[in-house]
Amino acid sequence: MVNSENTKAQMRKGVLELCILSILSQGDAYPTEIIEKLKETKLVVVEGTLYPLLTRLKNTGLLTYRWEESTSGPPRKYYMLTEIGTTYLKELHLSWYELVDAVNKTINKQD
Amino acid sequence: MNKTVTINISGIIFHIEEDAYEKLSKYLTTIRGYFNKAEGGSEIMSDIEARIAEMLQSKTSAIKQVVLMSDVDYVMDSMGKPEEFASDSSEGSSSENDTNEHSNTYNEPIKKRLYRDGDSKVLGGVCSGIGNYFDIDAVWLRIALLLMFFFAGTGFLLYLILWIAIPEAKTTAEKLAMKGERADINNISKAVKEEAEQLKKRMEKYGDDFKNMASNHREAPRNAVEKIVDFTGDVLINIGRVLLKIIGVLMVIFGVIFFFGLFSSVFGLSFLTHNVEGKEWIDLLLLDGKDFYLGLIGIAIFIGTPIIMMIYGGVKILFKIKYSNRWVNLSAGIIWLIGFFLVLMVGIKTGSDFNKTAKVRENISVIPYNTLVLKMHEMPVNFHEISESDEDKEGEKGYKSYRRNNDYMIGTNNGAKYLLGHAQLNIIKSQTDQISLVVVKEAKGSDKRAATERAKNISYNVSQMDSVIEFDNLFKVNNADKFRVQDITVILKLPVGKIVYLDKSLENLIYDIENVSNTYDGDMINRRWIMTENGLKCLDCDGLISVDDHNNGVDEEIDIQKEVNINVNGVDINAKNAKIKVDSNGVKIHSKESKVVIDGDGIHVDSKSK
Repeated sequence: MVNSENTKAQMRKGVLELCILSILSQGDAYPTEIIEKLKETKLVVVEGTLYPLLTRLKNTGLLTYRWEESTSGPPRKYYMLTEIGTTYLKELHLSWYELVDAVNKTINKQD
Repeated sequence: MNKTVTINISGIIFHIEEDAYEKLSKYLTTIRGYFNKAEGGSEIMSDIEARIAEMLQSKTSAIKQVVLMSDVDYVMDSMGKPEEFASDSSEGSSSENDTNEHSNTYNEPIKKRLYRDGDSKVLGGVCSGIGNYFDIDAVWLRIALLLMFFFAGTGFLLYLILWIAIPEAKTTAEKLAMKGERADINNISKAVKEEAEQLKKRMEKYGDDFKNMASNHREAPRNAVEKIVDFTGDVLINIGRVLLKIIGVLMVIFGVIFFFGLFSSVFGLSFLTHNVEGKEWIDLLLLDGKDFYLGLIGIAIFIGTPIIMMIYGGVKILFKIKYSNRWVNLSAGIIWLIGFFLVLMVGIKTGSDFNKTAKVRENISVIPYNTLVLKMHEMPVNFHEISESDEDKEGEKGYKSYRRNNDYMIGTNNGAKYLLGHAQLNIIKSQTDQISLVVVKEAKGSDKRAATERAKNISYNVSQMDSVIEFDNLFKVNNADKFRVQDITVILKLPVGKIVYLDKSLENLIYDIENVSNTYDGDMINRRWIMTENGLKCLDCDGLISVDDHNNGVDEEIDIQKEVNINVNGVDINAKNAKIKVDSNGVKIHSKESKVVIDGDGIHVDSKSK
């Protein structure tokens, strides 16, 4: 049972990158907004997962950010897609659908 | 009521309860531990901190200003456990990075920390925890500890200390940290070296900074001052860190050595039978056997507690254990005080028994003779001296005679034990014309009465056979009377004109007997002495160099021969104001005031007053 939970978590993590990029393609967002959207879809269970990922995406040049003052708290870091990020996302979309197709086929065959 | 701490997260100030703070800070430290070696680690950290600040802000308001434990729990729940998202980041990096490269960054093993392993514990998980830390099978540690237990119980106490000092690995992060990087003795020394290495690097960096700073000096003077402060501060902190590690190692090593030493000596002492010299001495000193154990326990606690705390502190420093338990410190303090008071109590109780000194004088009747022979009677007892250690044995002879009057011994007589001490003999001029012998007995006690009672209990024998008086060399104290600086001085009061012969055996009994020629004790024996108005005067000291002559030369020696002349012809004594002459003509005694002549014509007495 524990293993199945673990596998599910691994699956979610695998597609997390794709989801973050997708969310940001709809508009700039700061981490809390991204988390809220991910939580709605139950893609993220713990928030901590997001931060290393964001930083890594930013460091590889897919994302960039700007600071915005907040009225209620510390300044917010608004993330947005770079050009590379946008192209990267398109590629990712394609391979995602391919993957889903392939996986579905495999699963159905097993059944 | 709870104490709060003020903290700054991401530039926002929070008041947070102390325990909640501990938890949060530990949490952040763990996260930092996962990311500090990753690329962009500090950025991730500041993002996470910003988020935490945001969450905490939503949890506080004007009414509820303080961050509580539940808020921290909420933050930790929603942020997740570090190992969950840390593994994610390595997962992600491997998908795009070269595997070798990633293993250098993310897969860098977590810094291993020492925790108790609750999952595979027998008692408290100490052994399994240490086993994890050093990559040893816990079974060996358990066996070692068990063996040490039989070694005066050291293993048991060591285990307790470690149990208290080492926190249990509760969260997964802690459990991971527990099994993380290999750490053995080599790694500890490596860590110390690394720390030093880093210090060197930082110093160099600071050096460069300093140079740059100096060149930019005019543009930012205030900044320069700040940098110098930062620089010196950081340097001191780094030096401190290295020193701390070394101190930690030393504390544990010495702590264990001291502890072992203390424990074996305390255990050794407590099992001493009454036949052992040291124990006999202690028995004689302390009022009862209970005091011995109380004192022993007191000393063990008094010395042992700081040693245990030393090991405890050392372990904490060495393994960077930050969690602290104030109950441990508090109870250690209280236990230490108990030990201190136990020692103090026994000390005061024993010491107060030395409070007062009493002297008892006992007169012993002496059958008068014109010439008394004084001898020492060597008491036939099996004894061993108690105030002599092996080192002193070499120079035993000189030592013994020098400290003759301070040496006490324990003697056995028909199985009974006695404290034995050396008596001392003195000869002074009697104020009457009677020979008298006074035995002065001295002892200490809690009050005058007890001291007197003790003094009276000292047994000492003097016996007379015709003109021979024999003095025991030792006095005897019943063991029950304890050692209370008992002492015996025998005073022989000799009227003027009476003669004593000091037998050779007296050498160890007499001490600085006053005499007119200031002769040493060693030279006084084997000679006859007559009591004169001025004190004892030697009768057989022809050719003997007096003490004064040792200093003043030969001139005075001639004077003495002039003054006193005893030979086959008779006696011729020339004093300053008196003259005695006994020869074939009779007896002539001249003094300033009077003149007595006994000769063939009879007795003539002339006196000025007449």
